[in-house]
Amino acid sequence: MNKRKLLTGPYLVWAVAFILIPLAVVLYYGLTNSDGQFTFENILAIGTVENFKALCLSLLLSLISTLICLLLAYPLAMMLSDMKVSQTSFMVLLFILPMWMNFLLRTMAWQTLLEKNGVINQILSFFHLPSIQIINTPWAIILGMVYNFLPFMVLPLYNVLSKIDKDVILAARDLGATPVYTFRKIIFPLSLPGVISGITMVFVPALTTFVISDLLGGSKILLIGNVIDRQFQQGSNWHVGSGLSLVLMIFILLSMFLTGKYDKNGEGGMF
Amino acid sequence: MKKILRRTYFGLILFLMYAPILTLIVLSFNASKSRTKWGGFTLSWYVSLFQDEAIMSALYNTLIIALVSAVLATLLGTAASIGISAMKPRAKTIFMGITNIPILNSEIVTGISLMLLFIACRVTLGFTTILLSHVTFCIPYVILSVMPKLRQTDKSTYEAAQDLGAGPIYAFFKVVFPDILPGVISGFLMAFTMSLDDFIITHFTKGPGVDTLSTKIYAEVRKGIRPEMYALSTLLFVTVLVLLILINSSPKEPADTKVTSSRRNRKQVFRLAVPAVLVILLIGGGIGYSLKNAGNASGEKLIVYNWGEYIDPETLDMFEKETGISVTYEEYETNEIMYPKIQSHAIAYDVVCPSDYMIQRMIENDLLAEINWDNVPNIQNIDQSYMEQSESFDPGNKYSVPYCVGTVGILYNTTMVDEPVDSWDILWDDKYKDNILMQDSVRDAFMVALKRNGDSLNSVDVNELNQAANDLIEQKPLVQAYVVDQVRDKMIGNEAALGVIYSGEAGYTQRENPNLEYVIPKEGSNVWIDSWVIPKNAQNKENAEKFINFMCRPDIALMNFEYITYSTPNKAARELIEDPDVRNSKILFPDQEDLKNCETFQYLGEEADNYYNELWNKVKSR
Repeated sequence: MNKRKLLTGPYLVWAVAFILIPLAVVLYYGLTNSDGQFTFENILAIGTVENFKALCLSLLLSLISTLICLLLAYPLAMMLSDMKVSQTSFMVLLFILPMWMNFLLRTMAWQTLLEKNGVINQILSFFHLPSIQIINTPWAIILGMVYNFLPFMVLPLYNVLSKIDKDVILAARDLGATPVYTFRKIIFPLSLPGVISGITMVFVPALTTFVISDLLGGSKILLIGNVIDRQFQQGSNWHVGSGLSLVLMIFILLSMFLTGKYDKNGEGGMF
Repeated sequence: MKKILRRTYFGLILFLMYAPILTLIVLSFNASKSRTKWGGFTLSWYVSLFQDEAIMSALYNTLIIALVSAVLATLLGTAASIGISAMKPRAKTIFMGITNIPILNSEIVTGISLMLLFIACRVTLGFTTILLSHVTFCIPYVILSVMPKLRQTDKSTYEAAQDLGAGPIYAFFKVVFPDILPGVISGFLMAFTMSLDDFIITHFTKGPGVDTLSTKIYAEVRKGIRPEMYALSTLLFVTVLVLLILINSSPKEPADTKVTSSRRNRKQVFRLAVPAVLVILLIGGGIGYSLKNAGNASGEKLIVYNWGEYIDPETLDMFEKETGISVTYEEYETNEIMYPKIQSHAIAYDVVCPSDYMIQRMIENDLLAEINWDNVPNIQNIDQSYMEQSESFDPGNKYSVPYCVGTVGILYNTTMVDEPVDSWDILWDDKYKDNILMQDSVRDAFMVALKRNGDSLNSVDVNELNQAANDLIEQKPLVQAYVVDQVRDKMIGNEAALGVIYSGEAGYTQRENPNLEYVIPKEGSNVWIDSWVIPKNAQNKENAEKFINFMCRPDIALMNFEYITYSTPNKAARELIEDPDVRNSKILFPDQEDLKNCETFQYLGEEADNYYNELWNKVKSR
């Protein structure tokens, strides 16, 4: 059994070289100023009114999107897990397939759909329905997040739900539990690992995104991802950018910790 | 009833997932280049797609990188998963934590940190570095998909196989491997898909001449996505969809719910057909591609680093033919994304085309080489007034040769704006609430506010800047969106009444939507100049000068002007323009009178830059 551990060797080398060392570079930049002196200033930059507000807004929007994703994906995953095996693999792939179109192109397509004179509003006005004005508002950003990250919620949920022994559910029903009660006491608790892993997989990328808020929010809404991106690309201040990334990493660590706690066996994987 | 409800729900979600894709497919048949306007049905983008060598080679690179990195990641990741699953819980947690980092970390941080690592190790950026980075962020997806399958395998069967005399390797491939195969395959597919979709990490780790579809698309963002890209995406998408349907319909399985695992595995094996077909396509394409480029191995070289869509590709071919120098052509989309690559000496570019203020910054940081004017006699074709204007960022005209020039002004829709537009003030008028588009860059936005108050656009006066920031905050509720390139499509699609725009875009928008007018406000504006410069670490300086001289030739400048549609400072080329409306266009070639209050951006130093950014953050977060 011990020899099997050796198989981790190549990956370990790889991970140290290309994951940990680059991370150390970020740490170095985050904790120094442009003269190379040690400082906490870059990390404390999160405390300024603007940055803190961006962080709070990011947290809020990504929480809402995560919740919507969960509410949309749960029934969907339940339906998928009830389907015949021959259908599900195809259905699951249907959710990965959109990624074959470039991410930027897909998000720009939403712009074409949502704009004031966009496709959706033209269809609505054709039927004399009131138009919807959500482009350049936080709602459009939430829509973009939900759209882009929904598959990351569906897949882990589907995985745990399809593994639940159907006999357990039948037994509960036989013993007189209502469907709601069965769901509350049996299905949901058993699916918790998938729920937690889905939440992480949606929440973290939603928290750090900047492309979605740029394209669908009209750049009027500044998220923490935009602030960091700006430091790297416009301000060219890599030190502050790295410092703020380190702050974000706290949230990433937190969600990793949560996943580890509730999903001990990694059941809620993506696949 | 329940079934109908379920179907409707399923249908709705799928509609949400596929609505944008449908939009892109429709756009690929759109005769108009604009995203917001339907110009009739055409198949011409599909035709021109296959004639476009740059796109085809980017497609080839994308697929080969995705394939190789997915294969490597699958091998490394599967081996690692088997090892990790044999570990104690604590070690396991640490490993899974490390594995999660690339998935969860912000891409730009991963990209820049990998670039810094490669530079520190003196690895030349290129195909290999992209591959290494892609493998890095692909491995986690493989591990995350193999681990759950490993956990489901029954350890006793493996032990039983060994008891019956199978060696560990034989036992693994006969007993364990078939069980985890579905996980390995979906990990491979996920890795392939992720590699295909990545832009940011690729951008920072790629070298000259290597482009993937994503980097090509992003480089095009500034000048508008070419419809060929929609066509290509459609083709890619449809190909995969058809493959999937074929694979899924081929093995007819009995419709019982308890399919045994071996049958399920057999089905998974059919999925191998996807990669198999891809490999065949790639090898075929690769041979064809390398045969085509076989003749291109001459000794003299030149690496050009330019804005996306900022040159007529034909002029590059002509240059290669006339001089025998083989050109490697690279694109970027903003000055700020170009700067770190030059500053870090990641790649020794020979010719770069930055904007005014960035040239000054590069001069101040000693990144540029002085041009030997004896090698650039065609400089006489450049309008003297632009050489004078250049002195504001390049004193003595030592380092730069103007390539494209223009102004920034207001584009307005005459059907929505009745009054005459001649002042920046109109962008603060309540009447146009939600109908104003501002530029989403610090300096451009502050230029508008500073000029409106009669201040210099290079102001470093704290009071002037604070006033400008307050004005921008006051203006924010009226602004529909802060945009860069999007202003063009939004104005064409009648999305807004007024937009701040670069003059080069104005001509194009007017052709697509005749109701649009362009004006340089009376308070003055920004005259920008993008010029050719030679970085200090250039390896082929003389070839670079030959190239610059070639670009200043009137016929070449004219070709580029017609392709880019941005104004040329080349007065000899302007005289060659046949259409008098274009030759005498006030938008493209403004009089000195129009430009009397205009200035060119200068680099203001790190401290002032930071202050600008701080104020801009205040505006944006309001």
